[in-house]
This record gives sequence, structure tokens and C-alpha cells, in this order.
Amino acid sequence: MLETIKTLVVDDDERFASNMVKLLRTQDIDASVAPNGAVALEILAREAIDVVLLDMKMPAPSGVETMRRIRDLGSTAQVIFLTGHASVDEALAGLNLGAFDYVLKPASTEMIVGKIKLAYAKKQKLSRKETEKGDPA
Amino acid sequence: MLGFGLSTRYGQAVHLVLVPGLAVSACLTLVGESVASAAVTALGLGAAVFMSSLLLCRKIDAASEEKCQLDEQLIQSQKLAAMGELSSGIAHEINTPLAIISQESEWLRYLLKSLTTAPIDPDKAKEFAESLDQISLQVERCREITHGMLNFARKRDAVLQDTDINQLLEDMVLWVEKEVQRNNCAIHRAYDPKLPLVATDSPLLRQVVLNLLNNAAQAVERDGEITVATTRTGSNAVSIEVRDNGCGIPKENLDKIFNPFFTTKAPGKGTGLGLSISLSIVARLGGALTASSQPGEFTSFVLSLPIRRSAT
Repeated sequence: MLETIKTLVVDDDERFASNMVKLLRTQDIDASVAPNGAVALEILAREAIDVVLLDMKMPAPSGVETMRRIRDLGSTAQVIFLTGHASVDEALAGLNLGAFDYVLKPASTEMIVGKIKLAYAKKQKLSRKETEKGDPA
Repeated sequence: MLGFGLSTRYGQAVHLVLVPGLAVSACLTLVGESVASAAVTALGLGAAVFMSSLLLCRKIDAASEEKCQLDEQLIQSQKLAAMGELSSGIAHEINTPLAIISQESEWLRYLLKSLTTAPIDPDKAKEFAESLDQISLQVERCREITHGMLNFARKRDAVLQDTDINQLLEDMVLWVEKEVQRNNCAIHRAYDPKLPLVATDSPLLRQVVLNLLNNAAQAVERDGEITVATTRTGSNAVSIEVRDNGCGIPKENLDKIFNPFFTTKAPGKGTGLGLSISLSIVARLGGALTASSQPGEFTSFVLSLPIRRSAT
């Protein structure tokens, strides 16, 4: 049975975020919305999210700051920056913090779903490695 | 003994003849002669130096015209540089509506698939209409941004027109506000509601205002406050103040900030031309631009403009 990938869309543009969720659900992705970084962190603290689609330019906390706090939280969610802002410095900052990828808006749902599946595959691989480390020989 | 004086009566050939050994009073001034015949006369008298004031005036005029052209190019370059500082924010503002348009068209395609296999569902028809409305709205959003940018970048000769200064300021404040809000900064307005219309050049004034707002935004960085205020300061004057509670300007730099290429920003973060060009624009508009600051507390720029220019 195909596992459903739990995805959190974090974006302060309400229409964009709700459209993203609608379109991801047509591709059998279990998607939900967080309107800002603070709400995203609350959701990540209580739910097992696999992939986060994170906007870069948001009111505080910014995308990069939210990324930093996701890592501090110890979350294993893979983060994909999905943003209309094309700053090389910020892209590097996000990737250096451990983001899986950086996608520039506008991007087709097909492309985004492709990235989500790759990010999920990486999460599964890392999770298996952790499990193997924990198992006694 | 050499003596000389220079008459700069423009438009009329006034040639100065310097003759070694002759006192000033004995120097000849040949008025109305052509350059060539004046030169011949002068050389015949043993003149050591022959200077034609007409030639000098023509050279001064040509240099002055070249300077005006260079000033125009500089103003245009600085305008584009100021826009460059906002370009990343502008890209975000356009890319987001484009992304929504793309999503709406994908959703419409998805809805169409279900329409071919089943009778039209009223709820789906409503969603269809909603998506189409959104496409129009987002296109309008992009249009406002691109047209605003084009208006700003367009080169124009200075044209004085009655201008609502409060509205002009608000247009620029809205543009910058989106950027500064991401850093948790606020822009407060204190517009005089009774401010009269001012005869000025709107595009040039917008450039100055945007420059001052950009500087204030960079000074406050995060969690800061910027105040924009207008007041009538006399029978024929209004003033615009842009004040921030940022790092301030050290006393030793306050005299230099209007100098071309003076900047305290990191390399690549500013041309150092913004304030010098703003000053020259304001002078061209018949106004004045002054700055005051207390390091660590505030910086204030006050731009004063005449309501009506007096005939010169």
C-alpha cells in the first residue's frame, strides 16, 4: 500500500497556500496549511510531518529563521524552500541549514510533487539508518 | 609689467590684449572685432598672450551643457540603482501572483476533466468562476507593480504640476512598507490633511522620497520605526520629514553625507550617490534638504519645497 506523504505548506499568502494544498491533495499528498513560521513550529511539535514546503519571505520569523527553529526542534521533516524571492545568499543560507531543496515560484505542481517524493525518500532513508544504529548487532 | 583684466560680456567679442611692458591702463580692448583680426592686431602690437573672451565663454557654455547632460545621466542611473535595491522584493511581489495564476489554471484543468465525465456540478461551476476571478485579480496585481516600476524608471524632463504630496508619499511608503514589515519594522504616517497642492515634478520628487525611505529602512534594520510627516511651514512652503530610530549618523559624517560617493554601507550595498543626487534634485525643484541626527537615537531628513515657484 502506497504511504501517504504528510506535507505542511507554510506561506503567508492565503490563496497560494490553500491552492497548493488543494492541488497536492489531487496527487494523493496529505497536505495542510500553516500561515506563518510560528504556527508551523506548533504543528511540527505535535504532528509527524514528512515534508515542509516553506516560503522564504514571511513576517518574523522569516523562512530561514523558521528553518533554523525546525532543526532546533529536532524535527526530521525534510524542508523544501518554495519562494518567489531569488536571493542567492538566502538560498545558500537555507541549504546550509539542511534544507532539501530550493524551488522558485511559479513552479508546476508536477515538479513540486516530484521534489516532495524525493525529499520523502531521503527522510525514509535517514530514518532507516537511525533505526539500524539503534538495533543491537 | 604685465597687467590684465577679463571682460565676460557674453555674445560680444571682447578681446583682451596683453602686451609686455604695458600697464593695465594701456592694454587695448578691441570690441566687436572678429577673433582673427583682433589676433592679428594684437600680434602686431607684440602681444605676449591673446585671449578671446568669446572663445572662453563658448568653452564654458559647452562644458556647462556637458555637465547638465552628465547630471541627467547620473540621476537616471541612481534611479535605476534605487530600484535595484528593491528588485528582490519586487521579484517576490510579481512571482507570487504568477504562481497563483499558474495554480488557478491547473485547478481549472483538473475541474474540466470531471466536467467531461459527469453533469455540471453547481459547486464545481462556482469554483470555476472563482478561479477565473482570481486569475484576473492576480494579473491586475502584477500590472500595478510593473506599471509602477515603468513610471518610476521613465526618464522625463522636469515638469511642474500641482501634486498631492501626501498621496505621493503614501504611494512610496506602501512600496517600502512591504519590505520593512518582514523585518518587523513599522512606518507611521503624520500627514497634514490641510496640505495644499504643491507645484513640483512628481517623478523626481518620488525618487528623492524613495531614496530617503530606503535609507531609513536600512538604518533601522529590524524592529525599528520610521515616521513620515508633512506640514505647511509658511505662506509658500511645505516640508516633508522622514525620521527613523535607527543607528544615527556620527557627528563627523553629518557634513559629508551629501557628498557624492560617500557611504558607510558595506561594498556592493549602496552607491553613495543617493543623497547627493537627491540634494541636486531638490535644489532643481527650488527646495532644500537637511539632515539631523543623534547617534543611537534618530536620524531625520527634512525636505522643504516651495508651494509655487517664483518666476526667475
